[in-house]
This record gives sequence, C-alpha cells and structure tokens, in this order.
Amino acid sequence: MTLFHFFNCAALTFGPHAVYYSATPLSEYDTFGTCVKAALVYLGTALVKLVCLATFLKVQENDSFDPYQELLKALIGFIDVAGLYFALTQLTHRNISQNHKFQAVGLGWAFADSVLHRLAPLWVGARGLEFTWDFLLQGLEANANLVLNISLAALGSLMWLRKNKPKTLIPIIYLSAGILATMPSITSFLARANDHHPEYYEEAFFESSIIVSLGDKLGYKEEYSVVSH
Amino acid sequence: MACTKVRGNEVLYSVYSVLALVFVLMACVELCDASAVMDVYRLIQYDLSGSPFGSRRASLNHHAGSALFSPGTDLSRTVIMVPVRELNITLLRDYLTNKYPLGGLLLLLSKKSAEEKDTNTEEDVGFMRSVLSEIEQFLIHANIPYPVYFAHEEEKVDAILADVKKNDATGQPATATTGGFKLVLSAPEPKKLASPTLTNIQGWLPGLKGEGDGAQLPTIAIVASYDTFGAAPALAFGSDSNGSGVVALLEIARLFSRLYSNPKTRGRYNLLFGLTSGGPYNYNGTLKWLRSFDQRLRESIDYAICLNSIGSWKNELWLHVSKPPENAYIKQIFEDLSTISEQLGITIGLKHKKINISNSRVAWEHEQFSRLRVTAVTLSELSAAPEQLEQTGGISDTRHIVNETSVLNGIKLVAESLVRHIYGYHGKSFEIFADDSSLAINPFYVRQWLDLISRTPRVAPFLSKNDPLIAALKKELSDHTVDVHVQHEVLDGVFTFYDLITAKLHIYQVASVTFDLFILLMVGSYLILLFSFLVITTRGLDDLISIFRRPPSRKVKTA
Repeated sequence: MTLFHFFNCAALTFGPHAVYYSATPLSEYDTFGTCVKAALVYLGTALVKLVCLATFLKVQENDSFDPYQELLKALIGFIDVAGLYFALTQLTHRNISQNHKFQAVGLGWAFADSVLHRLAPLWVGARGLEFTWDFLLQGLEANANLVLNISLAALGSLMWLRKNKPKTLIPIIYLSAGILATMPSITSFLARANDHHPEYYEEAFFESSIIVSLGDKLGYKEEYSVVSH
Repeated sequence: MACTKVRGNEVLYSVYSVLALVFVLMACVELCDASAVMDVYRLIQYDLSGSPFGSRRASLNHHAGSALFSPGTDLSRTVIMVPVRELNITLLRDYLTNKYPLGGLLLLLSKKSAEEKDTNTEEDVGFMRSVLSEIEQFLIHANIPYPVYFAHEEEKVDAILADVKKNDATGQPATATTGGFKLVLSAPEPKKLASPTLTNIQGWLPGLKGEGDGAQLPTIAIVASYDTFGAAPALAFGSDSNGSGVVALLEIARLFSRLYSNPKTRGRYNLLFGLTSGGPYNYNGTLKWLRSFDQRLRESIDYAICLNSIGSWKNELWLHVSKPPENAYIKQIFEDLSTISEQLGITIGLKHKKINISNSRVAWEHEQFSRLRVTAVTLSELSAAPEQLEQTGGISDTRHIVNETSVLNGIKLVAESLVRHIYGYHGKSFEIFADDSSLAINPFYVRQWLDLISRTPRVAPFLSKNDPLIAALKKELSDHTVDVHVQHEVLDGVFTFYDLITAKLHIYQVASVTFDLFILLMVGSYLILLFSFLVITTRGLDDLISIFRRPPSRKVKTA
C-alpha cells in the first residue's frame, strides 16, 4: 500500500509540471529543448549556490538573527536571479516567442528544483510503512513553487527582454523582484518570530510565495496585454 | 574506434558505480522510520521431552487490535495488545483450545506497580502477583502457535493503545482496509540453543585445625540456587526466588569471613558456600556440583542449609526436610532456628516430605543432597513444594515484592544458628550479629545486591559462561572466601530451548487503502481541473472540447 502512497505524492509533486507542459501551447511549439536547457542551467546554478553557501556562510550555533549573515544569504539568493538571467538571455533558443520562452524556462527551472529537492525524500519517506502528511504537503509546496518560478521567469523576461516597458509597471516589477530576492531572509525571520517551528516555516514560505506570485501574476497578465497590443 | 569504445565502457562503469552508490544509500536510509520503536520480550519457547511449549513463532507483521473478540471475527491478521491486568485468561484458553487463529499477542506489563510501591498496599501487590503468576503458568505450559511478546507500558504505548481502542470501539477490528497501527517485528525463525551450560560457583571458609584434629574438619554447606525461569526469559529477574537466597548467602559469607579472619574466633568447621544453577530444572546444577565432590568431602559435610525464597512480606518461614524430624541433626537445627526466630519475632515451622526416588521431580534443593545421603534442609517461605517451573522467579517476581526486613531477618536467623552450631552454644540466648556491633548485618550491602540481582535476568540457558553476573558473583565470593571455583556443566535432561528472547518492535501508523484511493481521486481530479483550466485560459474552450472529441489533435491540425 505504501507504493500507492508514493505514487500519489509523486503525482501531486510532478504531475502539474507535465500538465502545464501539455496543456499550454508549449507542447505545440516543441519547447522541450528549452525546458531541458533551463533545467541544466538550474543544476549549474544550484551547484554554484551550494559552493557559495558553504564558503561564505558560517554554521549557526544558536538561532539568533544575524543581519550580516542574512545579507550574505540574500546576496547568494541573487545567484538564482543570475542563473535565470543567463537562461533567459544567453541561451540560444530556437526561434520561439518571448511568451513561450519564459514559460518554458520557468517550467524547466521549477521541474529541476522539484526533482532535486523533493524526489529523494519522497522516495525514501513515502514508501515507508509509516503514514505522514509531510509528503502530501510537500507536493502542494511543489505546486506553489511552480507558480512562483514561472512568475519569476515572467518577471525576468519583463525586465530584461522587453524593450518598451510600460512606465507605470516598472516600480511594481522592481518591487516584486526585490521581495523575491530577499525571500529566504524574510521566511527565516518569520520562522523565528513564529516559535522556531518548522511547520510554521513551511507555512510562511507557502503563504509568502503565493502573495508574491499573485503580485507577479499581475505583471505577467499586463505583459500579455502588452504583447497582444 | 577502439578508443571510443573504451571510453564508452568507462562511462558505463562510472554510471554503474553511481547507481550502486544510490542503491546503497537507499538501503541505508530506510532503516528506521517508525512512529515508535520499543523493546519487547518474547515468551519463552522450549521443548519438554520433545513436546513443544511456549510461543512457537517470532516475527510479526500485523495490524494492532485491542481485545479478544467473540469467536467469529477473523483475528488471524491482528496482533492483540492488551495490558496483563485486563487479560481474560479463560477467553485466551478458549482461543487456544479451539485453535482460533490469532496474529499475535502483545502483553503489556504495568510499570506503575513497581514504582508506586508506597501507594500500593500489600494486598494489591499480592493480588497482582497472583494474577501475573497465573497467566505466567498458563503461558509456560501452553503450546501457542503465534508470537507472544511482553512489553512495558510506556506513555507512547499507552497513547497507541488508546488510539487502537478508540478505533476498535467504532466497529470492526482493524485490517488492511481500515488503517490504524501496524506492528512490525522481523526476526528469523527461532533456533535451538546448543547444550545450555549451568555454572556453579563455590567458595570456602576453612576452619581452624586444632592439634588433635584429624585430617578433615567437618563442613557446613550454605547453598542457594541463583538462576530463574519465567515466561519471558529477559524479564525473569527472580528477586525473591531466588534472589533473596543469593543475597542472604553473600551476606552470610561476608559476616563469617569477618568472624573467620581472626584466629581467635575462627570456628572448627569449614564453611562451604555454593551458588548453584539449574534450580528450575530439578536442581540439575546442584546434582552436578555434588557429584563433582569426592566421597571424603561429601561425607565431611555435617549438614547443608539451602536458602530458597526468604524475602516475602509474610512473617513466617518453613524448614523443609526429607529426613524424619526425629533425626538428631535436624532436631538440633530446628531447635536452634526456632529459639532464634522467637527472638526475631518470626514463626518457623517444620515440614517433612519424603523423597520418592523413582520420581524424577526434585522439588527442593536439599533433596539433591539427601539423595546423596547428606543431611540437608531448605529454608523457605513456601509452605508446600512448588510444581515444576513454578515459583522460579518469573515476571511477577520483581524487586518490589521483596521485603528487605524479611531478608535481613532470614540472614540473621541462619547466621545465628550457624554460630550456635559452630561454637556449640546451644540453647543460650545471645546475639553475635547485633545491630550495632562490628559484626552487624549491613542493610546497604543487602539492598544493593538485591537491586542488582533484581535487574539481571538469570535464565541459565541464556547466561553465557562469562556473563557479567557470574563474574560479579564470583568476585563477590572471592572477596570473602578462598578457593573460589567456577564449575561449568551441561544441563542434561529433557529441556530444549530456543533463542530470540528480546527484540525491537516497530509500530507504524498506517493509512488505509480507502484513504489512499481517496487521495488518488483528489490528486487526479486536481490534475484534470488544472489541465482544463490551463487549456481554457491559453487556448480557449473549443480547443479543450476538441481534445476530447478527437484525441489525436495533431491530425486535426494537419488536416
């Protein structure tokens, strides 16, 4: 019965990526190569990020909030943004529209993230006899992450690829970019405020990602309207 | 060409090694993920002259249930968790005689009774003890075709039991379709133990040889059997039977070593201290021990006092003899003991039980001496001879049923009577081991040894030759006596024992199949909804409908 549970959790974690790919016009324009490339870029970025985290961050003995360390963490968080920038602008894509490009990049990015972060715990944990809600929650988190990553890619494409940005949107775009970059610090701060409970941490992450992605959706919708004009 | 092939092979090999590493990691990580892991103690499994007794299985992989239901419900895949005090023994007997299938039995021993000694009255303790020993006797003498385990009640287990009970109260017992808890214990098939060893330990306190004495001084032997037998070998602590006797023997050895260390007070008797094994098996170890003596030594033994269970709350002791009470030695011993017991406020009685040579059952340790024509008595709180494997220090025989004062009184009784015999002060009232003298009994020493003995299971087949307990007993004896000798013998007779006495039980909280199906339904509908939503928002409703009308949508496009 436990393989069943594993299957359920895996479907919840990785299903939305497949659904997104097949349901949207991404599949029609054969953007699979772009997705794979984005995933590879994610791999490289994750590696660089790990190395940086291991090199520059000190191991914290106590749970105090150290502004300097948090600043460093935020700076390292920008490596993600750099990776995304690379994936969006430097990769030689096949001639697909900007609209599909950022979706493909976001999807590949989110999928690679899900596989790296969730596949191993899922395989190890969800097949055990013991039943916990953790892996179902993790699947939900993967969904939120997909939305977040696609919005992030949309934001990136708005910032770097579009030439004629509408004036009114620019501050919103940069504000959301700032919020996203400082996300890890915000969540860790929230977690500390919330009794150091790991569940709170997840919840906070979940909520803030939804808030930010909602903000991004706005920008992304705007872009749609701009493109269609 | 060849070069690329080699390179390809190398790549293949590295991939293989990575895969192997991944598999190894997976295997390692999966070891422990249960919601609770607890120590459990298996019911003893043994053969008595070929016929099987005890629990015949070891491994468990079943759902938890809370009570034996009326026959008809299928419990063949359910492990019943039940606190021992709530166990209905007649129902269990019914289950066994009618051969109803049962997945297993997990008996929970309450730890509280041991800790809340003060709040429990003696009656309570006695009641619990009698219930426990009834269950124990039943389990020992039954042939149970499923695994039976004992565990201590802890908070975690109590919580799980409460959950299981709640689950059971709602209706049917838990099976694979309703979820609940799963008890998993993977163990190999129990194997027969190769020839169990019995270890006897002896020590001497040599007496003072006078000028005119012959070659050999008379000897008095003080003997106690130290091993136990119980339903759960790992829980057979036997504090009273016969931990109290062992402790008394050690304290007597200590007292007399002080007395004998001074040449002025050294008596004209050798004292022989013997800690024997194999007590539950007709005192087989005692027999082997006595047979290892040469004839002259055996004849020099004036008499032997066997100490057996002297720590109960009852204030009476019995002197069991197999020679008629008119025998001069026995008369003397009993008179000495009764004068001292009067001073101590204990009642002491004399019980005579003849030995039936044709019967292989040896109920008392002194009977082994008597069979070899050595005068011997047993001092015990038990008024009647126990049946085989009864009163051998099982699960009910724990530290809190032993009364330290009784043990101290017993020690004093035996020590004073020995002094009277050795120095020939019969019938006079005096006290050598008075409480505040330099020869006083040390209650702390007694308590410490009682505590240690009560923490150590001592079922002989599961005690190795160099078990820490044997080493400790040997060291203690050699501190007080000389010529300490450890003798290893093989238990002969009709017993065959099986291994696996302790194990780790994993308790998992599992979800039911229906729940998994429900989740599958939810996830599936979520994915379908997501798909429809995305198709409608990006391509329009018509596209979605067309997908369902004509599945190969590409053909539509090319056409």
